[in-house]
Amino acid sequence: MGNFLRSIPLYWAKIIAGSLYALLAIWVITRPREYIYRGTPGKGKWRDLRIWAIILIGIQIFLYIIF
Amino acid sequence: MKELFAQHIDVFLVVVYLLSIFAFGLLFKKFVENTEDYFLAGRALPWWVIGMSIIGTNIGAYDYIGAAGGAYRFGIAQANYEWLGAIPAMIISALVIVPYYWKNKVYTVPEFLGKRYKEGVRVIEAAIYGIFLVMLLGIFFWASGIMLHTYLGWSISMSIVITAIVVGVYTITGGLAAVAITDVVQLGIMFVGGFAVAAVGFIKAGGVGKFFEVLRAAHPQHLKIFLPLNNPAYPWLGMILGLGLVLSPAWWCANQSIIQRTLGARSEWDAKAGMMFAAFPKTLIPVLVVLPGFFALTFAPTGAIHNPDQALPWVVKSFLPPGLGGLVFVAFIAALHSSVDSTLNSAATLWTKDIYQKYIKKAASDKHYLLFGRILTFAFIIFGVIFAPFTDKFPGIYVAMQTLLSFFQGPTLATLLLGVLWWRSTGWGGLWGLVAGVASAVTLSIFRVNFLYVAWWSFVISLIINFIVSLATPSEPPEKLRGLVYKYLEKDSQFAEAVKRRLNG
Repeated sequence: MGNFLRSIPLYWAKIIAGSLYALLAIWVITRPREYIYRGTPGKGKWRDLRIWAIILIGIQIFLYIIF
Repeated sequence: MKELFAQHIDVFLVVVYLLSIFAFGLLFKKFVENTEDYFLAGRALPWWVIGMSIIGTNIGAYDYIGAAGGAYRFGIAQANYEWLGAIPAMIISALVIVPYYWKNKVYTVPEFLGKRYKEGVRVIEAAIYGIFLVMLLGIFFWASGIMLHTYLGWSISMSIVITAIVVGVYTITGGLAAVAITDVVQLGIMFVGGFAVAAVGFIKAGGVGKFFEVLRAAHPQHLKIFLPLNNPAYPWLGMILGLGLVLSPAWWCANQSIIQRTLGARSEWDAKAGMMFAAFPKTLIPVLVVLPGFFALTFAPTGAIHNPDQALPWVVKSFLPPGLGGLVFVAFIAALHSSVDSTLNSAATLWTKDIYQKYIKKAASDKHYLLFGRILTFAFIIFGVIFAPFTDKFPGIYVAMQTLLSFFQGPTLATLLLGVLWWRSTGWGGLWGLVAGVASAVTLSIFRVNFLYVAWWSFVISLIINFIVSLATPSEPPEKLRGLVYKYLEKDSQFAEAVKRRLNG
């Protein structure tokens, strides 16, 4: 098992991390709008936490591509 | 003469900071009338205060020094603790876990686990986190004393007492509101200091591009975000499994100091948005903690740094121009204070709500618990001041406390996740899962397994035992689970009634 893991090229770490971020983004996008806005006094687009999350995930993917 | 002038500027900056934060914190005294005001800021915190307070609490002076040292030694892989090891967990915490806590109107994470499972789970969690937070205070006070002594020449005991007075008075009088608002100011100071260091470093290097060009040429491995499996500190698989999937979610979903701010939110949306907003400054934290390590690596003369943890002190003392060093020093102190005040408030909340009110004095008036919370906060300050010198005599205390807490991270996350996501998980399943997970973490540590893998395997074992014991024991009635698990998170009217019933005992 140890030999197998050591034989995995390092770029696979980036692929796995990127895939986890992509899965998270898909999960976030599929959250119901009603759930995201629950308890908010206004319905402005900026209050959509799905957009906040996608921006955060986008920044993360960018950083992990660069480094 | 120039040096003397710089020293005076530094002392002036520190004194102005201490007096301002003290006066500012005291302004919140008038808003505290009951325990909800004291422990949860009257459930009136807006999202941006929550977010900034979370990061102020999260970043301590130890993180500054240790992370800069990690970056100096291993490079940008250190940033995984702020990125992969934080952002996904913060998003999940905001959208999945925080709403459960907030809607159930709990004061603490153990209280939620006690409602979901059984009182045994609450007692174990409250005891371990309660002891950990109180011990942490002594370590923080000592660190503050050492910093003021090293940089300004004040005696250590006087520095500890000044810290205790400044932070203690506003925490005792203003409660969570004072703590959260001062955290916002302290975070602002930390970022001003951090960006000033970054600007000086890049200017000295001839620009951002030029700096990274030089760094890449001299230390190519330092710009790799993942390191090979044989790296002793940051093996890539451990970073993904242990840090990304276990330690980080455990920290962001179940740490009382972090979660308490969201419990004080004025609405469910503010609670979720507060945690989500915190992820934005978190993304920028490497500018504060990783860049100084890189500057030390690039600019320090050979032999100037013997230990990686000296990287940041070298930057402050030898790299920055006079005056700016003082500003960065104030940023350290602010980082430390924002952790001290949050730890004090959270420790008092845990001991008052989960131990004193639950087991020692059950039916006293709210005023009584408010007074008790304040007395307890005062007692913790005194304990911290007295205990502080011992953390120097026994340097293993900090490591021992961190190790002890790490035994609980994986099992706590497993207990929380199964509790929220799987209706069939039972009280006995939760209790035995927690106990088995902690026992497996202790066993693996005895065999010197890397702590990242300890976290992962104790999480897995806790999940399995919880699953098996739950299936072997009778399921919980739906009435008990309403609003606590995903399946029974039903329409708000039913849920509100269930919460009301539970609050009335």
